[in-house]
Amino acid sequence: MSTPAPHAGGESLFVAAEKIYPREIKGRFVNLRRAAVWALLGLFYVLPWIEWNGHQAVLFDLPGRKFHIFALTLWPQDFIFLSWLLIIAALSLFFVTAVAGRLWCGYACPQTVWTETFVWMERITEGRRGARMALDRGPWTPEKILRKCAKQVLWVSFALWTGMTFVGFFSSVRSLSASMMHLELGPWEVFWTLFYAFATYGNAGYLREQVCKYMCPYARFQSAMFDRDTLIITYDTERGEPRGARRRGSDQHAQNLGDCIDCRICVQACPTGIDIREGLQIECIACAACVDACDAVMDRMAYPRGLVRYSTQNALEHKTAHVIRPRIIVYGTLLALLIAGFIVAITLRTPFGLDILRDRNALYRELADGAVENVYMAKLLNKDEHAHDMLIEVHGPVPLELDPARIVAHVEGGAVANVPLRVLTRDASLATFGFEVSVRAEDDPSLKASAAARFIQPGH
Amino acid sequence: MTPDDTESAPPVWSRARRDLAAVLWPSFLIACVATMLLFAFIDPADFGEHLPHSLWSARTAAYSAGFFFLWLISIASAALTLYMVRTSREERGGPAR
Repeated sequence: MSTPAPHAGGESLFVAAEKIYPREIKGRFVNLRRAAVWALLGLFYVLPWIEWNGHQAVLFDLPGRKFHIFALTLWPQDFIFLSWLLIIAALSLFFVTAVAGRLWCGYACPQTVWTETFVWMERITEGRRGARMALDRGPWTPEKILRKCAKQVLWVSFALWTGMTFVGFFSSVRSLSASMMHLELGPWEVFWTLFYAFATYGNAGYLREQVCKYMCPYARFQSAMFDRDTLIITYDTERGEPRGARRRGSDQHAQNLGDCIDCRICVQACPTGIDIREGLQIECIACAACVDACDAVMDRMAYPRGLVRYSTQNALEHKTAHVIRPRIIVYGTLLALLIAGFIVAITLRTPFGLDILRDRNALYRELADGAVENVYMAKLLNKDEHAHDMLIEVHGPVPLELDPARIVAHVEGGAVANVPLRVLTRDASLATFGFEVSVRAEDDPSLKASAAARFIQPGH
Repeated sequence: MTPDDTESAPPVWSRARRDLAAVLWPSFLIACVATMLLFAFIDPADFGEHLPHSLWSARTAAYSAGFFFLWLISIASAALTLYMVRTSREERGGPAR
């Protein structure tokens, strides 16, 4: 929990935010992150364009109030499943954090993924670290203007594309891009596209890892999931110290030096600007850039790799490492139970819903032949993918009839049908009573639902 | 690998900037969750019998307005909490940081 040391000594801690110029490096973990960035961004930009059974495969149709996730359609009534999914996601994060530390931060967080992309666009327009620093220090030459403009063009267009894709998850991306071609976007579509584009531009272009340091709640509480066996980025003090510069190939033992040559490349590579050699710090997002940076230096010095590496506190202190430990068992069991429960519940879910609303205008109506009629509205909700013909029936403590006697409602897949129900009785023995309305599919008797309703007639 | 490679200092945000981030961002997250909860149980189309525009823009407008309303409420709460913490005795008498 250290505070970054004031730079150049003696300065106020409240210096204006300075820019970080992370040094570009090559290595295993950089490649791994690049693969993750490709996979996740690919998923984000391609997913809305995939069709499934005649609709967008993943569409959180807010205006239509239903969520499509491939074959699964979630309605507001299925809110519990969505919350359940979110709880599973949160617990998975805890589990992964306990086992492997801040893997999420280093490889999968949208902040990391988009920052990586924006940094790449900065690199191809403004050049590598040294060139960027020189460019920022230098005067506004035509070349500087050109390079800065090129970067902004890339950033802004990428951000806009991101914003449009984001909105495409909530309202069909195909109709969205079609109306964009004809400049007929609705005001809210425009607003949210720009909102998300601006957030992407600001977060990935300018705030970057400051978001992790100052804004991210997960960064603050992730240490609660840590223990001495959690995988973290470590500097092997025992091996590295005493650090110091030396000639390549010279005898370090004669000079009484450890393996750290104090080149500070690990510090230059760090996107949050910390020195990993000072130990684990809250700013460390476990991106492993320093691991790759140090490994490259160790290779050049012909020292073994891993002076900075993924390890655990116990391993560093030569104690036994425990992969299986109470924390892991508890998180793992809970997670397994929740996932199993979710799968069972979603399989057993009735794919049909029925709601009965009383007609608000009249309590009852006395017919010419002496019967009494109540009117209702039946809302039939078909959560199935296919259309069904539903037979409606009523059962009560006294004989009841429907008018017309046989009502079959056709409900399209993933749609709601409103069916007016005229229920009548000739038995006046009860002034008011509850009865049951049931529906079942004519093509599939197992597909059924029922709801309770109340009948009211004039008293004796 | 030149040893005189200059390092960029880790940026330190001013207190005002940190406060702003601490108020705006967590309240944004809470507003997102609250909006989801609210509109899972309430369909804005159930209110206004005569919807002004198409269903799309009517519901979307209600969701958007609801979100910003909830964000404002959370901002107010977070800002007040921060104010209480910042003006407490220990904070004022504590070490100047």
